[in-house]
Amino acid sequence: MVMRWVGGCVSISLACVLLIGCGASDKDALDDGTGLDEQQLGGRGSLAEQQAGTLGLPGSQGPLADIYFGYDSEELGSHARTTLQRNREWLESHPDARVEIEGHCDDRGTIEYNLALGARRAAAARNYLIALGVSPSRITTISYGEELPVCRDFTPECRQRNRRGHFVVFEK
Amino acid sequence: MRRGNNLRHALVIAALLVGLFCNAAAAQVRSTIIGPGETQYPVAVSSLKVSGAPAVRGEQFADVLVRDLQLSGLFRVIPRQTYIESAQTSGVEEHTIQFANWSVLGAHALVNGTLTVTGDQVVVEARLFDVARRSQLCGRRYRGTLEDLPRIADRFADEILATVTGERGPFDSRIAFLSTRDGRFKELYVMRANGTELTRLTQSSTLNLAPSWGPRGDLITLTSYRDGDPNLYSLSYPGGQWSALSSLPGLNLGGGFSPDGESLVTTIEFDGNSEIGILKPDGSIQYRVTDHWAIDVSPAWSPDGRSIAFCSDRSGSPQIYVMGRDGRNVRRVSRNGKYSTSPAWSPDGKRIAYASRSRGGFQVFVVNRDGSGVHQVTTEGSNEDPVWSPDGRYLLFSSTRRGRTHLYLSDVAGIHQVQLTQGKGSDTSPSWSTWVD
Repeated sequence: MVMRWVGGCVSISLACVLLIGCGASDKDALDDGTGLDEQQLGGRGSLAEQQAGTLGLPGSQGPLADIYFGYDSEELGSHARTTLQRNREWLESHPDARVEIEGHCDDRGTIEYNLALGARRAAAARNYLIALGVSPSRITTISYGEELPVCRDFTPECRQRNRRGHFVVFEK
Repeated sequence: MRRGNNLRHALVIAALLVGLFCNAAAAQVRSTIIGPGETQYPVAVSSLKVSGAPAVRGEQFADVLVRDLQLSGLFRVIPRQTYIESAQTSGVEEHTIQFANWSVLGAHALVNGTLTVTGDQVVVEARLFDVARRSQLCGRRYRGTLEDLPRIADRFADEILATVTGERGPFDSRIAFLSTRDGRFKELYVMRANGTELTRLTQSSTLNLAPSWGPRGDLITLTSYRDGDPNLYSLSYPGGQWSALSSLPGLNLGGGFSPDGESLVTTIEFDGNSEIGILKPDGSIQYRVTDHWAIDVSPAWSPDGRSIAFCSDRSGSPQIYVMGRDGRNVRRVSRNGKYSTSPAWSPDGKRIAYASRSRGGFQVFVVNRDGSGVHQVTTEGSNEDPVWSPDGRYLLFSSTRRGRTHLYLSDVAGIHQVQLTQGKGSDTSPSWSTWVD
């Protein structure tokens, strides 16, 4: 699992190879070194994990910790702000890294509204990192709404885990 | 699908009226039928009398017709096995039908007809009779191919509804929706309005969202992550060819073509804030309709193309609003509930259906466009994404009332509710086309 993340940081294409290749060994995936790119494999981050069937499995966390949100809210609580400060420190010590922030929601809203909410969550995290001094050019955002839950129970704990901002790191 | 376009023309052009007519005014039954589910009118549907090809089943046409009439909620179909008359030997016209053999079954109306097969070509003459008066209410002749038989039945079902209620039925149309029935991801499927002829249109293995028929039924717009980001695409129908419509940074979400096909409305994003935008058919921004710090999402055209309904949390919680297509005269329409989304405009432009949270799940509501006269359509399970049938009689929505999320049909009053899709996975995000021709 550590290997998967390390691979993810090597390059975009390897990240996908390793994520997609989870069923096979990492070595097999690496051997298929030509012609693969992010788009062919249909995604990155949580979407690639979903396509590989690994989303929500332990170990999918990269170097930057997820942040969590309240119901129908993009407000950054104190815990989220503390996490973002730590994430900023990591980005500072890895100046070549880019990050894509994914905004996610629980299942309780409707699909389109939650996509808009996920966009607000991702933007709130991005704006906070920018305020902390991270260059805007290093941070992109994407909303997945409620489409990529890490768990599917109807419990408050599970819903809290799904209301998240997830950070996918790409390094040159 | 395969030869659909040619056949469609052949069928439409050759739907001749030769001594066959449908006289809505003559229908005595009209006064007894107020709305779906309130009075179920007993009807017998005879198989067609086949000539020219004994191997062709005359029941197929009747089977489709029975399904449509039952879905409509207006009729109670008398079971075929109780019929005294034989379809193949009995008369099919006013003066040759043994009406007593139908009235004894309790039938107030009778459907019968003939099917003449010549090679691949068929001619169907279908008729509707008032059993008590022993008179023909409606007759139609259709020409097409064997493949067209289900569609001919749907068209005649629409004629029957027109005859008994004064308004055409909704069955000669198609429904698009997303489903996980074949795998992990929501793929796009299309079926006929009665739930038959299900075909899969996408094999994209990624997130697909918010499909919406174009005004002529020849394309479906949808948001897909097939290129990594949530972009808006158009998918040709029936061909299934993708073309990119809008790939602005951030969301390019939902909406669809205006009724005149000249503009697109969709949700676009400015630094995390979603707004309603109008695009040219080539996907370039024409203008931004909303400009508000709140979430604005789920735009829906009014049938005249002059107004847009949408969802916004500008009041503190998601609610339904209506505005002019220029963004002026924004007015809140939904008053009940703390979370109301997914507006859909009725074909006559007078009402808006939407989903609103109620006791944990969502329920479908209908409200007049000025915010008056709200009523609740669903009560069981969680019900989302309502859309209207082309005739405005029915609502289609996803529901969890029997466990898995499937599509259900209801009359607008909510009296007659039936499950339209079955099977594995979840069926969500329906869009109902206009009539096929």
